[in-house]
Amino acid sequence: MPRPLTLALTAGAALLARRAVRRRIEGSPLWPLPALAEPVSGRPRSRALRLTVAAHQTVADGVVQLQLEGRELPSWAPGAHLDLVLPSGLVRQYSLCGDPADTSSYTVATRLVPDGRGGSREVHEELRAGMAVEVRGPRNRFPLAPAPAYVFVAGGIGITPILPMLRAVSAQPGLEWRLLYGGRSRASMPYLAEIEKLGAGDGRVTVVAEDEDGLPDLDALFAGVAADLPEGTAVHCCGPEALTAAVEARVPEGAVLRLERFAPGASTGGDRPFEVELRRSGRTLTVAADSTVLAAVRAELPDTAYSCEQGFCGTCQQRVLAGEVDHRDELLTDAERAESMLICVSRARRSPLVLDL
Amino acid sequence: MSNSPDPAPSEQVPPHKPLKARKVSFSWEGTPLHWVPGDPFTSHTINVLHLLLPAGERWFVHVYKQVLPYIRDERLRADVVGFIGQEAMHSQAHDEVLPHLRESGLDPTPYTAQVDWLFEKLLGDRFLLPGRRARRWWLMERVAVIAAIEHYTAFLGDWILNASELDRRGADPTMLDLLRWHGAEEVEHRSVAFDLFRHVDGGYRRRVRTWLTGLLAMFFLWQRGVRFFMANDPAPNLRKPTFRGFYVRGKRGLLPSTRAMARSVPRYLARDYHPSQEGSTEQAVAYLASSPAAVAADRGAA
Repeated sequence: MPRPLTLALTAGAALLARRAVRRRIEGSPLWPLPALAEPVSGRPRSRALRLTVAAHQTVADGVVQLQLEGRELPSWAPGAHLDLVLPSGLVRQYSLCGDPADTSSYTVATRLVPDGRGGSREVHEELRAGMAVEVRGPRNRFPLAPAPAYVFVAGGIGITPILPMLRAVSAQPGLEWRLLYGGRSRASMPYLAEIEKLGAGDGRVTVVAEDEDGLPDLDALFAGVAADLPEGTAVHCCGPEALTAAVEARVPEGAVLRLERFAPGASTGGDRPFEVELRRSGRTLTVAADSTVLAAVRAELPDTAYSCEQGFCGTCQQRVLAGEVDHRDELLTDAERAESMLICVSRARRSPLVLDL
Repeated sequence: MSNSPDPAPSEQVPPHKPLKARKVSFSWEGTPLHWVPGDPFTSHTINVLHLLLPAGERWFVHVYKQVLPYIRDERLRADVVGFIGQEAMHSQAHDEVLPHLRESGLDPTPYTAQVDWLFEKLLGDRFLLPGRRARRWWLMERVAVIAAIEHYTAFLGDWILNASELDRRGADPTMLDLLRWHGAEEVEHRSVAFDLFRHVDGGYRRRVRTWLTGLLAMFFLWQRGVRFFMANDPAPNLRKPTFRGFYVRGKRGLLPSTRAMARSVPRYLARDYHPSQEGSTEQAVAYLASSPAAVAADRGAA
């Protein structure tokens, strides 16, 4: 039996402790748990936005420009693109080609690819002014590199991400730049009038229409660049695979190269097989054209986690050690895409892709 | 108290339907902060879910990814794979409410940063003791905690599916759809976590221990979440939250009733407990067939 004095002291101490804790909690309701320095929850992701098609107009042969209206839209910088969710559920990426200062609408342009994967056909034939579409983004994997001078090479509809870059660069007095803009015919090349005005009279813009002038002379372009422009000139190129590969092969030493390829399959109508190296397991696998990285990996490592197999739940995210990823998910942020991928839907642009598995 | 797994429960297991994640999305522009009109206390008591679930369900996924190699049953593995995707979507869907709360003048970050700490650090992969056995013990402990929490979430899911009083009070339809879509999937997959726990461990002492830990942790987090919201709500003159306020709303059907909770919570400890006895799969499936978000997700997937 404890003595009454002990009881009284314990009860008193308990009361005091209770009051102290209460007061502490009243001062700050979140006492005493620690917090994570960089919180994960509630970080704004690129949320889906519902926009209205305000204008749907043909701006060149086979090219439709869409103006998508909303309110207080997220800002973007030249080179950024949107994921456009079409009424059928198809998701396609289109470069923003409007004015970055406009926070009430986004502008994109798309060329009809008759034998493509169906996205451009839907934009051309089924979208109408007044319809609602869902977009995600904007995201930027083709940002303007800071440089003392710029060379832009655009092939056809590849002018779309280049156009806002041109406007930004040409607005800065004293900044040197060149543009080579190629296409099948002048009638099929969008924004030609504006571009020729930007470079009016000083030879900075070269327009090459295949039906009149043949293929663009990249050798001459880069010979001129090497002669006239300073070390560290940035070369930005967007266009079909053949063009980007040709530019890549000719870029002079000391120049910074930024490429934006059209999504593989957008014009060829199918995916290609590629190789995946699993660095930690020391194995190399082949992913067939009609298969996925996940399927190939699971054949080797059956306990690899996955779930939705459609690129939205994020379970199959894996670290990418090397390689160029064609991201086809609808979840990852730019920062996450820089070092990881969802292996259930995303593919490699070229072999090999190296995963930390 | 023995520590051996229990015999399999005797009742009929319903026919097997594969679980799949649904790609839902909600737009929060039209939802007010007090989405149960004129009742900040009820709104915020339920809003606490948005504080706990983004980090909590992300943690479920993180733990379950590690337990996959321990599963020796293909059907259970398929269930766990489906469960993981559903939980990942729950986490994302509730996470998207948080920026909306911030825009409505109530920044949840001070609280969610703590919940993040709890799940990423305290309940993360690092354990006090080194070694394989300790790591496995810690993994199994967390699997058991998830099974216990899923007992509570199945109860809440069943409650929200039947909370017609919220409709009568004119609660925001988007928020109700989020909660009921989530609740229906919790009811739909309510057996997976418990089946997994029994498959990989199933010890009764562990079951009791994690039941108690989960209950205390949820009570602790929930009450401070409500206090946090009520203290930081931009609306003037909000009353302090009290247990009585909770009890009264439980009686009216605006929140789970204290009595039903007191009955449901200990059922987890029954020797013949199985989650399939709780809630109704038919009702959950029926709701998912009519939920605006789930229907839109199905259309997108087709």
